[in-house]
Amino acid sequence: MAGVFRDRDLDRRGRVREVTLHDGFLRHKSFRWLKISAALSLAVTLGYFMADVTPRPNGGSWYGYTLGTIAVLLILWLTLLGVRKRWMTRGRWSLKAWTSAHVYLGLSLIVIGTLHTGFQLGWNVHTLAWALMMLVIVSGIWGIIAYAALPKALSSNREELTQTQMLEGLRAIDRQLHEAAQPLAPSQAALVQKSLDQNVFAGGLWRRLSGRHRGCATARALRGIRRGDGLEKVQSLLERKSAMLARLRRHLQLKAMLEVWLYVHVPATFALIAALTAHITSVFFFW
Amino acid sequence: MAFLIRSVTQTADHREIVRDTRIDKEVLGIGRAAENEVSLPDLSVDPRHARIEARDGRRIAVIANGTLGFEVDGRSTRSTTIDSGRGAELAFGGHRITVGHEGADVVLTVRRVDAVSDAEEERDEARAFSLRGKLPGRRLTAWLLVAAVLLGFLAVPVWTFMKGPEKTIYEAQAQHSWSSGPLSAAHHQLEGNCESCHVQAFVSVRDSACASCHKDVHDHAPPERIGRARAKPTAWGSLLQAVAKTFGKPGPGACVDCHTEHEGAGRMAETKQAFCTDCHSTLSQRLADTKLPNAGDFGTAHPEFRPTYGQGRVAIGAQIASGLKFPHDLHLNTRGGVARMAQTLRGRYPFGDALDCKDCHRPDRDGVRFQPVEMESSCGMCHSLAYDNVGGTVRTLRHGDVAQAIADLRASTKHAPRPPALDGGRRRPGEYQQGRVYSAYFGPASQRGSDYAVRLLFSQNGACAECHTITPVGNSWTVAPVVQPGRYLMHGWFDHAAHATETCTSCHKAGTSGASSDLLLPGIETCRTCHGGENSRAKVPSSCAMCHSYHIADGAPWAPSRPVGRTTEDAAPNRGRERR
Repeated sequence: MAGVFRDRDLDRRGRVREVTLHDGFLRHKSFRWLKISAALSLAVTLGYFMADVTPRPNGGSWYGYTLGTIAVLLILWLTLLGVRKRWMTRGRWSLKAWTSAHVYLGLSLIVIGTLHTGFQLGWNVHTLAWALMMLVIVSGIWGIIAYAALPKALSSNREELTQTQMLEGLRAIDRQLHEAAQPLAPSQAALVQKSLDQNVFAGGLWRRLSGRHRGCATARALRGIRRGDGLEKVQSLLERKSAMLARLRRHLQLKAMLEVWLYVHVPATFALIAALTAHITSVFFFW
Repeated sequence: MAFLIRSVTQTADHREIVRDTRIDKEVLGIGRAAENEVSLPDLSVDPRHARIEARDGRRIAVIANGTLGFEVDGRSTRSTTIDSGRGAELAFGGHRITVGHEGADVVLTVRRVDAVSDAEEERDEARAFSLRGKLPGRRLTAWLLVAAVLLGFLAVPVWTFMKGPEKTIYEAQAQHSWSSGPLSAAHHQLEGNCESCHVQAFVSVRDSACASCHKDVHDHAPPERIGRARAKPTAWGSLLQAVAKTFGKPGPGACVDCHTEHEGAGRMAETKQAFCTDCHSTLSQRLADTKLPNAGDFGTAHPEFRPTYGQGRVAIGAQIASGLKFPHDLHLNTRGGVARMAQTLRGRYPFGDALDCKDCHRPDRDGVRFQPVEMESSCGMCHSLAYDNVGGTVRTLRHGDVAQAIADLRASTKHAPRPPALDGGRRRPGEYQQGRVYSAYFGPASQRGSDYAVRLLFSQNGACAECHTITPVGNSWTVAPVVQPGRYLMHGWFDHAAHATETCTSCHKAGTSGASSDLLLPGIETCRTCHGGENSRAKVPSSCAMCHSYHIADGAPWAPSRPVGRTTEDAAPNRGRERR
């Protein structure tokens, strides 16, 4: 609660406004870091057009070096979020404030980094650094969109079931299915067995992300068993399993979409730092 | 002998429950159906899968009923005989039946080994629900990428530099990845040969690197004077210079200050006006002894031209001593006798309705300037120096050789008069032309003796004096030399070919000039109708380098002759110099 009271604030009409701890990192302190980043971007853009550099704007002019220095310091600081996130704190330099700054200052790098290039791009280590920076930022934007949009979908899909509960439900249905299928003829029993044997977590990244499961043994069993008769119990169990699988697979899909950007964001960040090392060394090497 | 069926089941907490059933039968059924003695609740087992028959006290036979077989000690089969004393393991679907012997009984230990379903299998939930295993680990990917980038874009280029000029195509490619942009057309052949300019690692490109090829580049002025002439930088400029110096940049005044590279293929970027005006716009404040007037932006702060004529400078519009009597207005008049004569001679010479500049002034090979006007080929088209006609062969005085002219005339008048006498009538202009005897002078003279004819030739009304200034000296005469400078602006470059879209008279007011003493060179105001300073809105924004060369040479200032975007040949380096 201490945090709630400390974050108590007055709005324009003088009413006491409580900024709860649930206020997301995007809206943190009424978009403080968005404003700072926008101001920074605007300032460097104005500077870009006002700076007297010859023969034309590029990374090797005094303004180019200035932007490059700002950009590399920002990148290193942004990378530190990976270290900083392991300590949760509150207050001015709370993790939330830090994350908010990470997001908005990261976005301002699009402007700073691109103006640093002077729009001179080519097939070289310098443009590689820029491209990796853009890849990191774009994957970060994907992450923000995922964090903003997906948790709601995730929670409405699982309807207060935990992952363990989902898996337990599936096991229960499987056990019942196994029991109920005992009297089946061998061909139908084989269909049910395939459904039982199928690993719900199997498949690669694409299947996770797309949510397409063409070879679903349960769906096939349902089609096969329907042709038989007097097997209502097995049928209804297969239908229940189908529904449970659909929920579980949607859950896996949403989780994959929430996670996948980090598999780009983090390695690309390290590649970016390596490319920056090569970029800066090359500049001074061939000074 | 009897069968002891020992079924082993596991509780949720992995405890085993063992239940023995003794069956005294010769044949046992194995299958999913409940009526089997060994009933296996397993969907991959047939309802009546197989049977076990007792053979004697120890041996049993296992025989499949349908087409589906089973496994014995890991091998698939459809029937087998087992010595229960030695034991064996049978596998039906997810169940295992271990055959053994206890007392007089054959013991069949039945246990389920496979989970009922895949979901039942134990697994690390956190891992299963995440993308771990679906993608290469983040840490591994990061390290691999870091290693690849550092190797390909840092280690190999540095190694290549250390190795020297010999390099493989891959090393050259890796090193080329450091290039921030293509070199200009002039330096294209140095592409991928970084060491030729970047001689030492971590040392900026020095003038010596440029001078290793550009051996004959002339300095602008003695370095000491350049140092004094340079305007004191502003506080901001001083700061930038201090920072540049801290980082070991050369300058000010280094080659690379003006000639910037890696700015893209094509022509090298033109040097900005400021590089000149920083010194020259206020030069007199710092170099008190300079003879140069201050010069800044061409449109607003450039002094009037000071053409060189003879040994000194003259002002625009000044009267000059050309040594020739030549009224341009008379010759360019579209209505007078000259025009009429041009019309008459049209078939023989490329004349129009009147004389035009090009009829006498011919450009030199590269079109930059004009060849001197020659009497024989230009004036002589109309002004004939013929003085005699021997059997249809016309004899002509040699132009430019007084003694020869006197000798020729004297020799010719020793003979009987041959040219027809003047008939007193009006002569048509065509009869003065080249190849016709110009008897207005020589006809009557030849009748009266050679001395008279010679005197008449050099007299104030004679043929020579019509164009030249003649001075008698003893028994002979001298002709004042005619001065026809090819170039008036010795420190600025003017290319007539570049101005081909203009007419001659739009700059040179020849049509109204009545005397050849008029200097017909246009002044700066005429240029300014099209040309303005670098940042002006004039039709042709022009920086200093368009006309002036920093490296003081008498040729064209350095500039590729064609703009960017043409073929490589067009954009070949130093085409400008070739125009000289």
